[in-house]
Amino acid sequence: MKLLTKTSRYYLALLAIASVFSIALLYVAIQYMVYQDVDKELQYEGERIAFYLQDKGEIPRSNYIYQIDTIRGNAGNTGSFRDTLIYEAYDEEMIPHRQYRFYASTTGTKQFRITLRSRLLDRNDLAVTLFISISIIFLVLMTGLFLVNRSVAGRIWSPFFNNLQMLSDFKLEKTMPVELETSDIEEFEQLNRVISALIGQIEKDFFNLKEFNENVSHEMQTPLAVISNKMELLMESPDLTEPEARLLKAAYREVNKLSRISRALILISKIENKEFIDLDPVLLGELVTDILDQLEEMIHIKSLTLVREIKADPRKKGDPILLNILFTNLIKNAIQHNVEGGFIRIALDNNHFEISNSGPPLRNSTDRLFHRFQRGDANASSMGLGLAIVQKICILYDFQFAYHYADGQHRFRLNFGGM
Amino acid sequence: MKILIVEDNAELLRDIKDYLEKAGNICETSPDFPTAMDKIGIFPYDIMILDLGLPGGNGFDLITAIKAHSPEAGIIVVSARNALDDRIKGLDLGADDYLTKPFFLPELNARINALYRRKSHQGKIEVIFNEIRILPDKQEAYIHDQMLPLTKKEYDILNFFVTNKYRLVTKEAIAEHIWGDHTEVLDSLDFIYTHLANLRKKITGLGGEDYIRSVYSIGYKFTDHRG
Repeated sequence: MKLLTKTSRYYLALLAIASVFSIALLYVAIQYMVYQDVDKELQYEGERIAFYLQDKGEIPRSNYIYQIDTIRGNAGNTGSFRDTLIYEAYDEEMIPHRQYRFYASTTGTKQFRITLRSRLLDRNDLAVTLFISISIIFLVLMTGLFLVNRSVAGRIWSPFFNNLQMLSDFKLEKTMPVELETSDIEEFEQLNRVISALIGQIEKDFFNLKEFNENVSHEMQTPLAVISNKMELLMESPDLTEPEARLLKAAYREVNKLSRISRALILISKIENKEFIDLDPVLLGELVTDILDQLEEMIHIKSLTLVREIKADPRKKGDPILLNILFTNLIKNAIQHNVEGGFIRIALDNNHFEISNSGPPLRNSTDRLFHRFQRGDANASSMGLGLAIVQKICILYDFQFAYHYADGQHRFRLNFGGM
Repeated sequence: MKILIVEDNAELLRDIKDYLEKAGNICETSPDFPTAMDKIGIFPYDIMILDLGLPGGNGFDLITAIKAHSPEAGIIVVSARNALDDRIKGLDLGADDYLTKPFFLPELNARINALYRRKSHQGKIEVIFNEIRILPDKQEAYIHDQMLPLTKKEYDILNFFVTNKYRLVTKEAIAEHIWGDHTEVLDSLDFIYTHLANLRKKITGLGGEDYIRSVYSIGYKFTDHRG
């Protein structure tokens, strides 16, 4: 649930409860005031009547007088209030009235019991009116609150949401500096500081790791060269026995493989470090045709059937070397992980490159296909780095890359329309 | 030819020196930047082999210094950094070729020979091995003055062998020299044998001798020594 929705819900609940309470409170308060007022009014009127009676010997005209009884004997000397409901024909309903009954006498001995009545507020009307007005206030408040909240949220929270967007776009490989939007709100600034520190640490670790990988690969090259040379010298010795030569041959092959691996790792580091900054227009149709011509002999040696469906020659910007590596690796991958007498189909149009080849299914999960050192089959000569390199190049150039396996057929599809 | 090898790893330096001396060159060595600078100033070399990652100075400065002292010298850069921009930078400054470590010594030797031929504009250069005569300019080979009808790859293999005559040339070195890293898609390098069989057939067909000896199925040696 969004922050604004969540807070709005709480406000709404609070306002609803407050509204119910205010209706009740106002009802009681208004009733109380009306009673006070009416009672006072009746009492004053009573006093006026009593005074007039004493003074003039007759009962004055009054709108409040409801009933005058002449009484004999002793009368109480205090007045009494009570509530009563009276049917009013005009309204066609029972209306509450306040009744004040008191005793008054002339200077003679004539005693009167006078009953005064005044109409009170209609309880139903009061409740309904209160309900309606409070509801209107409630709605106005709610709308106002919502609008204010939204505009305030828009302003106050905008650095937060902008930063959130920036963080979700953040990719370690892209090495984009994350510049968080500053705000005058203490908590946001605190969050920014924490995030900046965190990102800084992550980037530092990532950089160190990359540098370490690169250095290890570099430092390996010279010793590998020495080992390889010494082995060649040893192989020239005329006294080698056949088993010794076999051991030497196996070791020599592994050393060469090791040096290929370290070269591939250096290449990955270089791509990650964005050392390929050239952006030249490259004709992909021409490039793919060139690569196929170069690999023709290898395709032939494996008795593979090559189907070329190069329908376009799209021009894409990129480093010519990297683009060459990208397509070479994909095509080599299709040759290497193929079956004897299998096929390779290559299709290129303006926005897509697709390569499919026959081959046994992957041993590992598809997700791990692009990870380093993941070999899809038991092919011993495979380094397991070709597709990792492909993936790095695709990330660099924002190419969409998809892999699919069905019916003994591996299919890689590259979408470079966005570039 | 006179070659200066600048390399900080003593073992690699010795290997390169031994290999190139056996191929009939005069080699001077230098393990660091200052001695390399001294040697450049004193003596003219035909070819210089430079490691870019040198103690005591930047390999690029060395290229600039060589170009100032002896602009005729050929420079081959050897670096652990297969940094392609290092490569471009090195070539911009005047290096003629670039090899990434680890490399095969026969490959280095072949590059040196090719560079030397390009540099010394002495008209026609011929490489002769008994009855075999190679014209690198034209990429042609002759047996007893009869032209060998070779494919591009067969010619390259023959030239590679003759350049590295009497030395072991492993299948890996041949594969990398001719096919680059394209052979890594294959499970074995046995396909080289087909090319060699064709080459042998063509040479013997013109009355030439088969000088290609297999060495423990690791590689081959191009030699006229018996046994």
